[in-house]
Order: sequence, then structure tokens, then C-alpha cells
Amino acid sequence: MLEVKELSVAYGDVRALWDVSLEVEEGSIVALVGANGAGKTTLLKAISGLLRPTSGRIVFEGEDLAQLNTKHRVDRGIVMVPEGRRLFQTLTVLENLRLGAYLPKARAVYDDSLERVFTLFPVLKDRMNGKAGLMSGGEQQMLAIGRAVMARPRLVMIDEASLGLSPILTRTIFDLIVALNQQDTTVLLVEQNIHMALKICNKAYVMKTGHMVLSGTGEELLANEDVRKAYVGERGSRL
Amino acid sequence: MGSLVQILVNGILLGSMYGIAAIGLSLIFGTMRIIFLAQGTMIVFFAYLTYWSFEKAGIDPYLSLFTVIPLAFVVGLGLFYLLFRKAAALEDKNVSLLLAVGLMYLIDNLILKIWGATPRGVNLSYSGAVLVIGDIRVPWLRFALLGLALASALVVYLFLKRTRVGTAVRAASEDMEATTLQGINSVWVCAISFAIGIALAGVAGVGMATVYSFDYQFGFIFAIKALVALALGGIGNVFGALAGGLLLGIIENLAAYYIGIAWIEVASYGVFMLVLIFLPQGLFGRRGLVKKV
Repeated sequence: MLEVKELSVAYGDVRALWDVSLEVEEGSIVALVGANGAGKTTLLKAISGLLRPTSGRIVFEGEDLAQLNTKHRVDRGIVMVPEGRRLFQTLTVLENLRLGAYLPKARAVYDDSLERVFTLFPVLKDRMNGKAGLMSGGEQQMLAIGRAVMARPRLVMIDEASLGLSPILTRTIFDLIVALNQQDTTVLLVEQNIHMALKICNKAYVMKTGHMVLSGTGEELLANEDVRKAYVGERGSRL
Repeated sequence: MGSLVQILVNGILLGSMYGIAAIGLSLIFGTMRIIFLAQGTMIVFFAYLTYWSFEKAGIDPYLSLFTVIPLAFVVGLGLFYLLFRKAAALEDKNVSLLLAVGLMYLIDNLILKIWGATPRGVNLSYSGAVLVIGDIRVPWLRFALLGLALASALVVYLFLKRTRVGTAVRAASEDMEATTLQGINSVWVCAISFAIGIALAGVAGVGMATVYSFDYQFGFIFAIKALVALALGGIGNVFGALAGGLLLGIIENLAAYYIGIAWIEVASYGVFMLVLIFLPQGLFGRRGLVKKV
């Protein structure tokens, strides 16, 4: 469904990604893990069109995305849930959701999408008319994902969904991501909580300082000595 | 007592103009993060157009609202795409600010070239009509200004709250990148809010033509006054900006009455400094011109 081929991205003179390749199959959950500064967010931003690559290709369902801006990529179903949620704090929950379904295609099925979001996240229905910024961290993360669901994504890219959440809430959010995936949404997940991410994914990629260094199924990477030492062990206490 | 009420009434009516201008500044600042210093000059420009259509064709200023507002909106779109589109996307806001200053002097001098340096004003048959309530005397035209200001605030408020694009404008003034990620064309959102800001300059221009005598240099002072009003009211709140304008008008009239006419400007800029230092959020805003540290 999504193919990233030898992608390089630079911020001015500083190169952030070096010939990175990645493949996401339709219907799967793909995890992208690695330390801070490995280039995971940069890769997501390049896929969503916020950053222009210096070389390489991004192909979505057979179409090269090079000439498409963010708006057109969203319209084709590539939707990103940014790190830190980036909700519109002073807007109500409902207004946030409405903005998620801004484009005509998504707007046409607004009622249906809203129903779906409220089924996935009943708490959002109760908070519908409250300001997004006044909700708890967990509720805000649900709204951020809900806002993406409103856009009718075919591929949703979630950047650090568990950031700042308690272990229990993290589990809840992960369960919801799996539920979303079972409703025909492909998921590309960037996670710090590597153990959890590797458990739910079909395939995972490991990035390090702008390079793609390893890939495999979640089980393979969980069993991998290097991965255990580098990532899971160090954060094992959190799990 | 009567005179104090009269001062308050006069202040509110003078402040209506500041209020309309401040709402425009607030919209433009919200999305583009620049202080559009040419706002006052745009107001004067539209005041001249109003004056000109009155002199040449005898069109009543209040009637010309129907042509000036759409015209100003289109001018706003044009200016945005010609001058500010690229600059607005830059991290460095100084470019946009300098463009605004350049535009201000360009239009100032354009006005000087076309209409000359003589102060102008529109003399309407009903200019002298006065509303008398007890001891209070209010010229009808000034009263109409307050109506214009309230109507402008209400229309902008409803646009921001009730329309899809308006919601996108509010979203963009909070987080431009997150707005883009919703598939919203953030350039268009900036363009729309800029154009509405200029349309408000059109409204204020018509108002100005009916009650003030103005010349080509009036714009900069007016932009600064609108900025003071905005600082008072705080950004991110339409009615706050209007209230800031009204308050500034009252302060100026109080200063003129109790201290002396010559102190008007000292009082308004003094208040400006005090607000920036002690109340950077403004009185009613979520967020001031300056972030509170």
C-alpha cells in the first residue's frame, strides 16, 4: 500500500534521513521504533507532505506522491496523528472532530464517521461540547486519533501515541489502535514504548541516526539480542 | 455628572473606530503572526474612496458600504497573494512586517499623489443631526459608527464560530501545522483572514469618512491606535478587541477633559506601555501581543 524508496530528507544542510526504505502492507500494523533523533518523526512528516525529500520516492497505492501536497495526501487517505497530539485546545471536542472531516469526501460521510468515533471512544461523546484542552491526557490522545478517523484514513500514522500516558492508559490506547486496525485501517506506528509496539505489530522497522538498520516481524525483533539490549531492556522497567 | 456621561458616550463612539480596526488586526495577527501596520493606511485609503464616490457620484457613504466591503475583500485577497503569501510561510516574520511597512508608505504616497495633502471629509446633509437624551448630545453619525462596530464584531464572531472556514481560521491561529495535517489549505485560510481584515478596514474607512477629516498621513497613527486597542483587549477574542477600542476611546476622552487636549496621545501610549508591561495578555484576551513569561 505504501512504499518508501531510498528516501533522504535534510533540514537545510543537516541531513536527517539517509536512503530510508520502508513498506507498509494494506491492513497491517507496522511499527517504527528507535531512539530519540533517529528520524522517525521526520519520516512521517515526509510521508504526510510536511517535509520535502531531497531524493527518493514515496508511492501510495501505486501513485508517486512527489507532486501532491498534504491536502491531497489527506484526501487520498494518508492521515497523521502528530506527536504531542496537537489538538486545537481552545476549540470544542466536536469542532476538533469536524476539522478532521474537512475535505469534501470525508465531509460527505461525516455523520457515519462521528458515530464510529463515538463507538470507539464513548468518552468523547460525553465531552463533545467541552474544550479539547480541558480533557485529560488519555482523552486528548483519544480525540487526536478520533480526529484522524474522521478523515476516513486508509493509512493512519500515529506518532508517539503513549507519550505521557500511564501504563494503563497506554494499554487502552493500544487496544483501540488494534480495534481501529481491525476496522480496515492500516496503521503505521511510531513508538517509544517498544515492547508494546512490537507485540501488536505485524512488521517493525528499527531506525538509528537517520538510517533504517533492522526490520522484521514483531516477534523476530523482540527475540533479537541487539534490540533487547538497546531498547527493550533499557525501558523494561516501564512495562 | 452629565458631563461625565457625555465623555463616556463620546469615548465609546470614538473607540468604535479603533475597535473595528483592532478586530482586523487581530484576525491578521492570529493566522499570519504579524502586526499589519498598514491597516490604518488601508482605512484611510477606503475613506478616500468613500469620499471620492460621494464627491463624484453623490453616493451616500452608508450606501457605499455595499461596494467598499466587497472591494476591500478582493483587494485583501490580491495583496495577500501578491505580497504576503510567500513571506507568511517564512519562520522569520520580519519580512512580512517590513512588507507591511513598505505597503503603508506606498499607499500613503499614492493617496498623496491622487488626492493631495489637503484634509478631506464628507459633508452630509444629515451631518449635523444630533440625538439628545437629557443633557447628553450624540451626533447620529457617531451613533451609526457604534452600530457599524457592533455589527462588524458580530459578523466576524459568527463567521469564526459558525462556519467551517471560520473554525479552520481559529484552528490555524492556534496551530498552523496541525491545521495543514487535517487536509486544510492553510494558505487559503491565511488569505481569507487577511481579506476579512482588509474588508474591516473598508468598513472603518467608510466610518472615518463620515465623521473625521482625514489626510494621507492619518493612517499610521490610526494603525498604532488600533494596536493599542488590541493590546488592551488581547488577541483571540473579537469582542475583546472591540472592547479594547472602546476603552481606548474612553481613556482618550477622559484625558482630554480632565488633563487637557494635549495629553490625549500621552495618555493612550502611556496606557499601551503599562498594559504591555503589567497585563501582556490584555484585559479580555486569551493571549496578548506579548507572551507572558
